[in-house]
Amino acid sequence: MVSVSEVDLSVDVGGLHLRRPTLMASGCYGSGEEFALLAEPAGIGAIVLKSLTKEPRVGNPMPRLVHTPSGMLNAIGLANPGVDWYLEHEAVKLSSLPYAIVGSVAGFSVDEYRYVCERLAERSEIAAIELNVSCPNVASEGETFACDPELTARVVRAARATTRKPLIVKLSPNVTDITEVARGAEAAGADALAIVNTVRGMAIDVETWRPRLGNGAGGLSGPAIRPIAVLAVYEVARAVRVPIVGQGGIETLFDALEFFLAGASAIAIGTANFGDPRVPERIVTGLAEYLAERGLNSMSEIVGKAQPSRAERTWGATG
Amino acid sequence: MPRVLLDYIRYNGSGGKRVQAFLADFYKNLEKKQAVQTIGRGRVHVVAVTDRKEAAPGIIVLGLFAPELAAVTRPGQFVMAMPPCNGAAAVALGVYQACADRIALLFFVTGRRTRGLAMLVPGDTLELFGPLGNGFILDGLRDVAIVAGGVGIASVLLPAIQLRRCGARVRLFYGARTAQRLVERERFAEAGCEIVAATQDGSEGVRGYVTDALRAAKRPEHVLACGPTPMLRATAEIAAEWNVSAQLALEETFGCGVGACWGCVVPIAQSAGQAPPFPRRHDGVVYARICREGPVFRAGDLRW
Repeated sequence: MVSVSEVDLSVDVGGLHLRRPTLMASGCYGSGEEFALLAEPAGIGAIVLKSLTKEPRVGNPMPRLVHTPSGMLNAIGLANPGVDWYLEHEAVKLSSLPYAIVGSVAGFSVDEYRYVCERLAERSEIAAIELNVSCPNVASEGETFACDPELTARVVRAARATTRKPLIVKLSPNVTDITEVARGAEAAGADALAIVNTVRGMAIDVETWRPRLGNGAGGLSGPAIRPIAVLAVYEVARAVRVPIVGQGGIETLFDALEFFLAGASAIAIGTANFGDPRVPERIVTGLAEYLAERGLNSMSEIVGKAQPSRAERTWGATG
Repeated sequence: MPRVLLDYIRYNGSGGKRVQAFLADFYKNLEKKQAVQTIGRGRVHVVAVTDRKEAAPGIIVLGLFAPELAAVTRPGQFVMAMPPCNGAAAVALGVYQACADRIALLFFVTGRRTRGLAMLVPGDTLELFGPLGNGFILDGLRDVAIVAGGVGIASVLLPAIQLRRCGARVRLFYGARTAQRLVERERFAEAGCEIVAATQDGSEGVRGYVTDALRAAKRPEHVLACGPTPMLRATAEIAAEWNVSAQLALEETFGCGVGACWGCVVPIAQSAGQAPPFPRRHDGVVYARICREGPVFRAGDLRW
């Protein structure tokens, strides 16, 4: 039996050292200050900022959100003030926050990714960079990066050349074989992979006979996509060596555990914060208890434990 | 509302010129004080359900024991109520009543999340966070038309009561699909509002839209409105024709409710006081978050 205080929840995500394995997913947590009064910092390992692009973007037309059974469809469209404006006006606030900050980068060409990465790399407030190559909500281009292993690799190589900060590449589940894209990103220099972004979806208004989102299609998040995400993490964990940030519909400790057991070194919480801002804190507290009860004292003792052992694989027991 | 003040009214009554003057003064100061504060983003509250009423089929009024919220909530603000079902985002609900140690929420049952809230009974607990958003600015208004459509009625009782306390004339233009869905009119009548009803099927009041009734009415000094977007647009048009200012409380699907997700936005003039400090655009329009910069906007600032 290990006492809760002895449990070490810290993880290393490709060079990004976190005291707790919980990230707040990009786009769901603003810059952290929005939830400041509602959530305890004790639940937060790092915050992934809303994706920044080279130029300011107003985003998609309204409506941008639809609540669906067990989830939420969004089509925000990368609304952001542009990296230059953000760093000049908002980034100062980041240094006072009691957790690590991960910058998120989106773009429409390799050059745009390179530019934003360069700008973020200069800043000491930014502990790591996440490459959002998988936003489903921008006209055509956005997601094609994550759908094409070669394009993904080109973006990652360009970003890699700009910085030595840990580079996390966020991948899309909307592909035939996510492991192929994952391998490409790893080979191009990714330090970690975030698995997965939202699943494409649509809701239709039966009164107006039109899609309910202003953009038509959107990205589905929430518990509805959790099994999809767990499988993606499970498969990618077998295909690559870099650590994985598992995400997709995590709401409770048990959801988080599924991702750790599938092979994620850390998890990200997104939509669940909208249902209850105390979710991260609950997961972290519960995680320490879960490990302590089982006499385990570090995260490495559960990460990837749902994967078949080498012996099982040799016997072909898992097909 | 502060406890002290309530006790004062309870023992001295709310009528009489002296009390009214006292109250008017009190609220003026309160408004001034709050106007300079950055609006807080609320906290998570665990509150108890004290009563539940089905005002009409599918229209629920939930009474909650929430002294802290009742003390700080201002007209036009909202709370995010966490439905007691897993995997659901919190629901944004305008605070319907706030009195003594109690607040009430009024909502329509439209989907899974509101169905979850509708199943709460007295004795249950409900978790919510708030109060959120910027409310109505009611300073010095003397003759006000309030336009409410459907569930929009939930956000206009508090301003109506406050305006009446300050001695303003308040006319409520209230629209719904049918007479049965024109709920809670008695609360407004108690507060001393004149009520003009409109129903789409003509089962009560004016047949048609509530804005038709508004257009036919005598010009007020100021307009407040909450309801579906088409109603708000029409209200803004009428106010512009009359050349009176209007404050609109916008209805939209919210994500986080605290300004993090940019899921609920409305284009407003960059010059507006509520415009977020974003890079200047050539057309002078910027998206404001309804949950954070709103939900109440001046009609003249909107560029929709």
